[in-house]
Amino acid sequence: MDNRPSSLADTLERVLDKGVVIVGDITVSVVDIELLTLRVRLFIASAQTAREMGMDWWTNDPFFTPKAVNRATEVNELEQQNTELRDRVAALERTLEEKRP
Amino acid sequence: MSCGLYAYAITRDRLADLAGPWLISYQGLALVVAEVDLDRFTGIEADEPAEDGPLAVLVREHDAVVRAVFQHEPVLPLRFGTVLDGADAALRLLRARHEEALAWLDRVEGRREWGVRVRAAAEPEPVDLDSVSGTGYLALRRQRLTAAEDARRSAEAVHQALTRRAADSTCRDHASDLLLEAAYLVDTENEDDFHAEIGRLAGELGQPVEITGPWPPYSFTNVEFADA
Repeated sequence: MDNRPSSLADTLERVLDKGVVIVGDITVSVVDIELLTLRVRLFIASAQTAREMGMDWWTNDPFFTPKAVNRATEVNELEQQNTELRDRVAALERTLEEKRP
Repeated sequence: MSCGLYAYAITRDRLADLAGPWLISYQGLALVVAEVDLDRFTGIEADEPAEDGPLAVLVREHDAVVRAVFQHEPVLPLRFGTVLDGADAALRLLRARHEEALAWLDRVEGRREWGVRVRAAAEPEPVDLDSVSGTGYLALRRQRLTAAEDARRSAEAVHQALTRRAADSTCRDHASDLLLEAAYLVDTENEDDFHAEIGRLAGELGQPVEITGPWPPYSFTNVEFADA
């Protein structure tokens, strides 16, 4: 169990997106709440992706995270394999063409 | 500097000093208000939200006032950025929504909101394709899909078990790396029971369960009030 003080994302989500809405001409519009909510939702989504509120920006940086390097190498290897396979398919197709009467 | 009457919350009219904000009262009901500099809100929707940005400061202020009221009395938090067209407008609102607002206050009285979040397990290691056979790969893939489905079902079971111990509950839309993001409105005398249940479920789940709160009942006061 993990009980920590409320994060900005949690507070924003409630204060901006929940609670009683007062409508009608008794209110003065000071802030475009829809636009603000939209922006905050994007912010919250990115905060959730980054596990600790933007504190893990380095996780995809190969310099800081060897795993990210691995991922990069994996992609390279896949590309290489792909090229090799393409070459082989092309070679086989050529052979087939040549054998065709 | 242009000033406006910022409204934070609706509560019962029996609150003592709030150090700053004051009450506009009407027959047992009150609106918590303060005079604010409206320039502080100008262009705020264009800024990128940041931990120490102007939006964060305003939002935390709003939350602090709502919480100060909530310490003593049941509260209906108003949405951020509610500015009223003067004290007359406030009275008109309280008159028009008197019964309704009192009923909502009864509903949240003696209860606090708790947020509960369960994260999906970290992505499994990628398969080394050279070391598994085709059947082996398919078996592994099925196993992982089953595990993901099981995790989703367990999270759903957590939600149902907690809902039974709460006066009300609501699930939020959540990102794909979350299995559960929910809020529960819990009677204060049931809180120990509620937290014990979370502990038990977390043990069963074998995954951390994050709790936020206690919150004023933000997630359980989704209502629109007009002055007519």
